[in-house]
Amino acid sequence: MFREFAKGLSITLKHLLPGNSTTVDYPKVKLEMSPRFRGLHRLVPTQTREKCVACYLCPTVCPAKCITVESAENEQGEKYPRVYKIDLLRCIFCGYCVEACPVEAIEMSDEYELANYKREDFNFEKERLLR
Amino acid sequence: MVNLTIDGKEVKVGKTATIYEAAKEAGVHIPVLCYAKKLLPYGACRICLVEVEQMKGRLIPSCTTPATEGMVVTTMSDEIRKVRKTVLEFLLVNHVIECPVCDKGGECDLQDLTYEYEVISNRFEGEKFDLPKDEINPLIERNMNRCVLCGKCARVCDEVVGYGSYSFINRGFETKIATAFDRGLNCEFCGQCVSMCPVGAILPRPFKFKARPWQLKEVNSVCGYCGNGCTVTLGTKDNEVQTIRFNDKTGVNDGNLCIRGRFGASYVNSDKRLTSPLIRKNGELVEASWEEALETVATGLRDAGSSTGILSGARLTNEELFLVKGLAKAVGTGNLDHSGGECYKGVTQGLQETLGLQASTATFPQVENAKAILAIRTDFYETHPVFGMVVNQAVKRNDAQLTVIGDKQGKLTRMPHARTLQHKPGLEVNILNAMCRFLLDEGLAKIDGLQGVEELKVALADYSVDAVAAAAGVDAAAIKQTARELATVENAAILLAYGLPYTANSRELGLAAANLSLLTGIAGRAGSGLYLCGEKSNSQGAIDLQILPAAGALGASGMLKAASEGKLKALYVAAEDMLVSYPDKSLVEKALEKTSFVVVQDIFLSETARKADVVLPAASFAEKSGTVTNAERRIQRLNPGIKSPGQAKSDFAIFQALLSALGATAPADEAAAFAELSAATSGYEMVSLDMVGDQGYVWGSDNLAPEMRNLVAVAGGKAIEAKYQLVVGSSLYHSGTTSLHAKGPMAVVAEPYIEFGREDAAELKVVDGDLVKIKAAGGVISAKAKVDRRLPKGVLFAPYHFGALDLNRIYHGQAAIAVEVSK
Ligand code: SF4
Ligand code: SF4
Ligand code: SF4
Ligand code: SF4
Ligand code: SF4
Ligand code: FES
Repeated sequence: MFREFAKGLSITLKHLLPGNSTTVDYPKVKLEMSPRFRGLHRLVPTQTREKCVACYLCPTVCPAKCITVESAENEQGEKYPRVYKIDLLRCIFCGYCVEACPVEAIEMSDEYELANYKREDFNFEKERLLR
Repeated sequence: MVNLTIDGKEVKVGKTATIYEAAKEAGVHIPVLCYAKKLLPYGACRICLVEVEQMKGRLIPSCTTPATEGMVVTTMSDEIRKVRKTVLEFLLVNHVIECPVCDKGGECDLQDLTYEYEVISNRFEGEKFDLPKDEINPLIERNMNRCVLCGKCARVCDEVVGYGSYSFINRGFETKIATAFDRGLNCEFCGQCVSMCPVGAILPRPFKFKARPWQLKEVNSVCGYCGNGCTVTLGTKDNEVQTIRFNDKTGVNDGNLCIRGRFGASYVNSDKRLTSPLIRKNGELVEASWEEALETVATGLRDAGSSTGILSGARLTNEELFLVKGLAKAVGTGNLDHSGGECYKGVTQGLQETLGLQASTATFPQVENAKAILAIRTDFYETHPVFGMVVNQAVKRNDAQLTVIGDKQGKLTRMPHARTLQHKPGLEVNILNAMCRFLLDEGLAKIDGLQGVEELKVALADYSVDAVAAAAGVDAAAIKQTARELATVENAAILLAYGLPYTANSRELGLAAANLSLLTGIAGRAGSGLYLCGEKSNSQGAIDLQILPAAGALGASGMLKAASEGKLKALYVAAEDMLVSYPDKSLVEKALEKTSFVVVQDIFLSETARKADVVLPAASFAEKSGTVTNAERRIQRLNPGIKSPGQAKSDFAIFQALLSALGATAPADEAAAFAELSAATSGYEMVSLDMVGDQGYVWGSDNLAPEMRNLVAVAGGKAIEAKYQLVVGSSLYHSGTTSLHAKGPMAVVAEPYIEFGREDAAELKVVDGDLVKIKAAGGVISAKAKVDRRLPKGVLFAPYHFGALDLNRIYHGQAAIAVEVSK
C-alpha cells in the first residue's frame, strides 16, 4: 500500500519541479493565442476610412443584439457607419458578425484582456474598434 | 370562365386572366420581375417561363399568355429551373452587385431570385455597367447600373401617372432607361416609379442609407393630406416615420400615391412640432402644463358660453369631430363650422337642395370604366392626384373621353384626346347651364321623375350654348358634344373638387353640377357618378358629421365677421391656419385681435397660433387612431405608427380632457366614440367599427341613390373686365398649409410664385424668377414669377398655401381678382 502511495506522490512531486508546470504565470507571461481565437473585435481600416459599409448584416445576425450601426452618407456620397458600437458586456463572442460581413470589415483579434471599472467602458465605439 | 390545370391543381379563372394570374389564384408561386398587377402585361424579363402541355417544345411566359380552356401547366421542372437560372445569369453579367450599399438589399427581387436559384457563379462574362447616377433632384435617385430593364418605371409613369418621363433608349447591351435627352429627372415626383422598380435602380432619396427594410415596422394608415384617402404604409423606426412603404393590398389607391403621400409625411418628424401647451402671459406665449392650459381654456370657454365660436379643420378624425360637436354642446354655443365654411357649405348645400345628398354618389374604381368624364376645374389633378391617375387609366385603357371645364390648361387637359372647355375665369356654372339647356332642348335629358324641369327650362333661357360659348370664349360644338356624350354613354362621371382656394360660386357650382348629373342620369346610376371631392383628408367626414352651425347660429364667415366686430368672446380653432389659408386675411386678423380669448389647437405654431391666448399641441395623423371618410364615402382607419413628441396629445385626448374639465362626459376611447357617432350620423347607422376592414367601408354602398331629384335653376357668373386677372388655386406639390413643413414637397416647390402664361410674360418682359408685384383691392403682394404654358392671355395664377405670399390680402373669395402687374 505504501509503495503505491509513494509512486503516486513521486509523480506529483515531479510535476512540482521547475519546468514541469502548465500554468502560465499571468500577467507576467501571456499565452500565444490560436489564430482562430475569438477575442475583441477589430474594424478593419482602409487608407481613407473604415472598410465597413454599414450594410447592417452584423447587427441583424448578432444573437446578443449588441451591435449598433447607424449608416449615413459621407462627402464622397458613400455609405459609411456614422455610428458603430459593440456592447461587449452583451457580446457572447460567437463570431457571427465576422462570418456575416460581406466585405470582411470586421475581425476578431486575440485580445482577451477586457476588464474595466465602469460599465460605459465596455461600449466599444468605432474609434476604439478601428485599429 | 376558363378551366385549366396548374401543377395538378384545377383552377377556374376569368376569361382575361393570364397563366400567371391563374396560378396566383391557385396559390402556385411563379417568380416575376417585370409583371405588376396594375400594369399591362409586358413580357420583358422571361423569368416567369412555364411549361404548357399544349405548347410543347418551348417555354411559355406565363405573365403574357392568356389562360385557355383545358391548359395543363407545369410551373417547375429541371428545365424551367435551368432556364430561369440562365436568365438570372444574363441579368447579372453587367449588373453591378453592390448589395451591401444598395438600399434595395433585403427586398430586391433580383437578390431574392439569385438566392433562390442559387446563382453562385456566372458562366458568362461581360463588362459591368458604368453609367452615371442621376442625383440631380432631391427626391428620386436613379442608378441605372442596377437596372434590369423590366420597363416597369416607364410603364407606370405612362399608364398610371400619365406623365411619361422615361423610355428605353439605345439598343442591345447599351439599352437603358432614360428621360428625354437623357437629362436629370424633373417630373411631378409622385415616386410611382420608385415603388415599381424591382431592384435598386430607382430609390427614394430622403430614405437614402437610413435603414434596412427589415428594420422598419410597417403600419397601414391613411394619408393625411387630401380627400382621396390613399393608404400610406408608414415605415417606422426609432419613433420616426422613415419612409412610406409600397402597399397595393390595402385601401383604394392600388399602391398609387402622389408626391404628398409618398414624400410629404416627413412633417410629422419635424423638430418644429409643438411639444408643450403654451399660454400667453404678459404678451408672450410661454410653456405651461396641461392642467393649467386646460383649466384656462375651460374657464375661458365657460365665461364666453354662447358667444364662443368653434372652427375645426377637416383633417381631424370622425371621432375627434364628434367630440368637437360635444364641445360646442358643452360650451353651449351653436357657432360651429369646419374649414372655410362657405366653400364647403356652398357645394354641399347645392347638392342637398337638388339630390338630397351631400356626398359622392359612386366610388373611385367605377371611374375606370367610365366612357365619358367631365372634370370641373383643371386643378382637379392638383387637388386629387391619385384620383387623377384613375382618370388617366380610364382615358388610356378604356378610351374614355375626358372633358375639362377650366380656366387654364393642366395635366388633365394634356391627356390623350382630352377636350378642354377653356373659359374665362368664373364662368364654370354658365357652361354647365349651357349643357343642361342643350340636353333639354335636344330632348336628350332624362327627365323622368325629375322635379322642376319646366322651371329650369325657363331659367335657362339666357344660357343657350351659343350665347355661353361666346361669353366664355369656348367652342360651342365642344359644349354640345360633351353634353351629348355625358347623356348617352353607358357610364359617365362628373368630378367636382372643392376647397379653400375655390370658394367662389360654390353653391352655384354644386347646383349646376347636380342639375347636369340629374339630366344625364348620372346621379345614382350604377357605374356612373357625381363625385364631390373635398380638399382635406376628412372633408367628407366633417360634412357627414354635420360640423355646421346650429339653426340661427354663425358659420365660419359669420363667426369671423362677428369676431372682427368684437361680438364674440372666444374663438376655438382646431387644426386650421386661418391667417394663411382663409380668404380675406384682414378680416381674420381683426377677428383674432378683437376676440379676447383665442385657443388654437395645432401641431405647429402656425401664424394663427402665434396670435392665440392658449396653444394646445396636437398629434399628427401618424400618431393617432380613429377613422376618416374619403371623398367616395369610404370610412378608413388611421393607425398610430409613432408617439407624439413631448407632451403633445391627440386631438381626441385633448377634447376628452376638455370635456371633462367642462363637466361633460366624453366617450372613453375612439372605438366608443365611433359607436356613438355612427348611431347619430345619417348613413353611418349600420356601420360598426369591425366592418371597417383593410379596404375600409363605403357607407351608403357603392352607389348612393339620390334622396330626391330636384332641378334648381341657378344663375351663372359674370366674367370680370380687367386686363389681368389672378386666379387662386392649389399646387400639385402642396395641400393646405401642412405640406409646408414637409421636406419632400418643399424640395420641389419651396417658395410662393405667381404663374404667367407665355404671352403675358413676353408682353410684360417677365422671365422665370423675376420678382413681380401684383396690386389689387386689398393690397400689393409680390413673389417670383414662374412662366409656364398653362395660362391663357390675361390670366395669372397663384397657389394659396404660402403664408409668405399674403395672397389672402387680395383674395376674398372671388373667382378671379382684377390685378395690376408691375416688376
Ligand atoms: S457586416 Fe461588415 S460591412 Fe456590414 S455593418 Fe457589419 S461590419 Fe459593416
Ligand atoms: S439591385 Fe438588388 S442585386 Fe443589385 S445591388 Fe441592389 S440589392 Fe443587390
Ligand atoms: S416620379 Fe412619377 S412622374 Fe416622375 S418619373 Fe416617376 S412615375 Fe413618372
Ligand atoms: S429602372 Fe427599375 S423599373 Fe425601370 S426598367 Fe430598370 S429595373 Fe425596371
Ligand atoms: S395627397 Fe391625396 S392623392 Fe396624394 S397620396 Fe395623399 S390622399 Fe392620395
Ligand atoms: S414576369 Fe413574365 S416576362 Fe417578366
